[in-house]
Amino acid sequence: MDAQKSDLLQGTLDVLILKIVALEPIHGYGIAQRIRQISKAVLQVQQGSLYPALHRLEKRGLLCAKWGEAETGREAKFYSLTKSGRKQLETETANWDRLSEAVTMILRTAE
Amino acid sequence: MWFRKNADSELNAELRYHFDRLIRDFVAAGMEPAEAQRLARLEFGGVEQVKEECRDVRGRWLEDFGQDFRYAARTLGRSPGFLVVSVLSLALGIGANTAIFSLIDAVMLRSLPVQAPERLVQITRLQPNGKPGVVSYPLFEYLRDNLKSISGTAVEMSADRAITMDGAEELVTAEMVSGTHYSLLGMEPSAGRLLQPADDETAPASPAAVISYRYWQRRFGLNSTAIGKAFTLGDKVFTIVGVTPPRFEGTRPGRDPDITLPLLMMLSDGQRREDSLNMLSMMARLKPGVTVQQADAELQVLWQSFLLRRATAVQEKYRPGFLRQRAGVLSAATGFNSLRNDYSVALLVLMCIVALVLLLACANLSGLLLARAASRQREISIRLAIGAGRGRLMRQFLAESFVLASLGGSTGLTLAHWFSAALVTMMANGGTLLLSIAPDWRVLAFTGAISLLACALAGLAPGWHALRANPNPGLKEVRMGGQQLGRAMVIAQLTISMVLLVGATLFVGTLMRLYRVDRGVRTDGVLTFNIRSIERYPQARSWAVQQVLLDRLNVLPGVAAATAAQMIPIGGGLWTRHAQVEGYTFRSDESEDVGFDVIAPKYFATVGTPLLTGREFDERDTNTASKAAIVNESFGRYFFGAQSPLGRHVTSVNVTYEIVGVVRDAKYQDLRHDVIKTMYIPWMQREGDQPTNYKYLARIPAGNPLRLVPALEKLVREADPSLRLGTSQTYSTLVDRSIVTERIMATLGGFFGILALIIACLGIFGVMAFRVSLRTNEIGLRMALGASRGGIVALVLHEVARMLMVGSLAGVAVSLSLTGFTEKMLFGIKTTQPAVFAFPVAVLAVAALVAGWLPARSASRVDPMVALRHD
Repeated sequence: MDAQKSDLLQGTLDVLILKIVALEPIHGYGIAQRIRQISKAVLQVQQGSLYPALHRLEKRGLLCAKWGEAETGREAKFYSLTKSGRKQLETETANWDRLSEAVTMILRTAE
Repeated sequence: MWFRKNADSELNAELRYHFDRLIRDFVAAGMEPAEAQRLARLEFGGVEQVKEECRDVRGRWLEDFGQDFRYAARTLGRSPGFLVVSVLSLALGIGANTAIFSLIDAVMLRSLPVQAPERLVQITRLQPNGKPGVVSYPLFEYLRDNLKSISGTAVEMSADRAITMDGAEELVTAEMVSGTHYSLLGMEPSAGRLLQPADDETAPASPAAVISYRYWQRRFGLNSTAIGKAFTLGDKVFTIVGVTPPRFEGTRPGRDPDITLPLLMMLSDGQRREDSLNMLSMMARLKPGVTVQQADAELQVLWQSFLLRRATAVQEKYRPGFLRQRAGVLSAATGFNSLRNDYSVALLVLMCIVALVLLLACANLSGLLLARAASRQREISIRLAIGAGRGRLMRQFLAESFVLASLGGSTGLTLAHWFSAALVTMMANGGTLLLSIAPDWRVLAFTGAISLLACALAGLAPGWHALRANPNPGLKEVRMGGQQLGRAMVIAQLTISMVLLVGATLFVGTLMRLYRVDRGVRTDGVLTFNIRSIERYPQARSWAVQQVLLDRLNVLPGVAAATAAQMIPIGGGLWTRHAQVEGYTFRSDESEDVGFDVIAPKYFATVGTPLLTGREFDERDTNTASKAAIVNESFGRYFFGAQSPLGRHVTSVNVTYEIVGVVRDAKYQDLRHDVIKTMYIPWMQREGDQPTNYKYLARIPAGNPLRLVPALEKLVREADPSLRLGTSQTYSTLVDRSIVTERIMATLGGFFGILALIIACLGIFGVMAFRVSLRTNEIGLRMALGASRGGIVALVLHEVARMLMVGSLAGVAVSLSLTGFTEKMLFGIKTTQPAVFAFPVAVLAVAALVAGWLPARSASRVDPMVALRHD
């Protein structure tokens, strides 16, 4: 059922979402914007991956959702981090640091 | 499904917001609105895909399920005929099962609502047939004082009595119990107090009585003034001291005593002392850790020594029989359950019958669903080919049968209530049977379980078959899918119907043979009734009252003849007595017992037993005249062979009677038992008699004998102020009631046999019609090649006949292995008799061929040209 096709990508997206949601409650559109802005438009998130990822994280209990008024005055679905979501973010961040360090090390050495 | 709608609309709103924001941002960046929309749509991509993926993430099991049900409901709604037939046959199957099960629950499974009912046992003498009997008061005392495996005992006996309260007379059901009764059961009163050991007095100054909750409700409206109220029973005045709990309905299922009285004071001196006067039911509580078997083992030892001690007083040739008497400890968790003893075999047989009916309904439904599935084979193949999950498709089939099973189950539950109420009425046999058949959790669980089972049985086969199909050939054409399975379903239906029809033949045959038995009496046009009396008469007064009663009866307008007798044929039994017959010497091992009845004048004329020689009793046979006896044919043949019994003498209990007449044999106990050699004596020559000891009979020339009842009420009171008319019924009704189990089995067996036949016919018709429609092409071809219409009909019927043959043979085999244990319930008919099978085979053959002929005929009317173009 879930798309196991690109583990890395999916895992990465999940941790990015968790990170951004950790700052403040935010809706899907906002998350996409943030990722684009912060990564200086290097990372583009497709809606087709974003929303399934949000729903998956919500179902796993890492995110919780609430309907609230957005900047534009319309109702939007705001996501925020749950307790286990915060924990997950910490482990994922640590994992990512270790992994990227290792990858960088190998790449540098290989040069 | 609001759940799905809710989740879906939320998802919509969420995505919509994203989309609108995109447009807004583009417009803010200076784009034309139309261009902004186009761009946003481009960037957003396929909304539906995103939605689907989100739904997948959320898990769609429940949503799909809802979809399956809606789909199932829609497809079923499109064929209302199929829906009605299948729901109805399932409802009948499930309803019948629920009904029988709720009776089994009420009669055999439900424990008494008392403390630890599973520790209660019945300690009893056993009847020769193994059913529990009764004990005498001295035997009770002996067991109470000597059995070590039990911690408490109580005895009781039941009777219906007339009481007088506030000057009004009323009939109540009464139970007489020892003072330990309620403490043994561990019960607390609803009001006042219950009877206790202190009430065990032979002559209490102010005897106490306890009433049931329902009597309290009915008679006193739950008012506390009931406590302290006095009523008269016979010559004693009782005071109501308390009320039993609402849930307690006595210790005898089906009988809810209104009033409970102390036993000891109601027993005569003789009843308290004589160990041969057995009439009490004894209950006990097992000590902790003791099993029923251990208690029984202990009882056997005590029982043997009890018998041996008493055997010395018994004549030597009767001693072995005396010592063969048995006693036992039986579980009494459900109380003194005579219903269980009387009906458990019948109920279990009925349970098997209705289980077969349900199985039949499932096979029927399965066959029809299979046919429907086959006609959807192409659709299914396409869906499989484009990647539908097999599990999902299977679920769809199950959803269809689930919808049918739940509809069938809920309709069945309604039918069941109605059905078990009817059955309870039949079992009550003209009396009152207070059985609660309101479905409890056990019944509801049972209904749920069999409905699910039916759903699985009916849905799995077609589902499995459809999925096994290879998508490829299915796409090309509808092949003869499910041929084997469909045929198997029809054969299964024929087999089950055959078994049910054999059962019906056995039970209906038994009843017919019982009615054809020579009773030796003419029961038409005869009314039987009892007399109640408020007082006991001295002998002379009693005779006078009896005489007056009979004289008045005989001149009552519309009565052709009236009489009285202690026992009447088919009335349930006959007393036996030792007799010494003039000129006959008994062998040392030969029983001296003969049947013995006390009758009034005109007895034989009234019951319609022909007098062969000599005379009937009449006014001459008073207690001062010489003692006279009449004997039946069997008696005469046994003791006198070819010689005439007239003028010979019989001595019994020190009185010598001269035989003055011989009558034709009549069946006394019931229709099944053989005739007993019997002697009759006149009622005016019988000491220690009461009018209440007799059954009265009145013959009318024509019409319904019950029309005498109002006149009789008056007549009885006028004959003597303390006499009342007791229960009255026609003699034919009395005979009917003596064979209630047989009538229930014949009625239900016949009903289910016919039902099975109808269901099977519907099944055969449905499946054959479908198979014919599949073969339209082939049939068209055959006709184009010159086959006649008759030939086509024969072709189809030939297939039916083949299935019929297999089904009947299988049915016979299954019947032979199943019906053996009903042998005891049958009469004059053997389970292995060929005739038992001939009738069902014939009926089934006719029904199956008719059901097959209809589709065959429509097949033969096919226009070859149309048929050949048929895809």
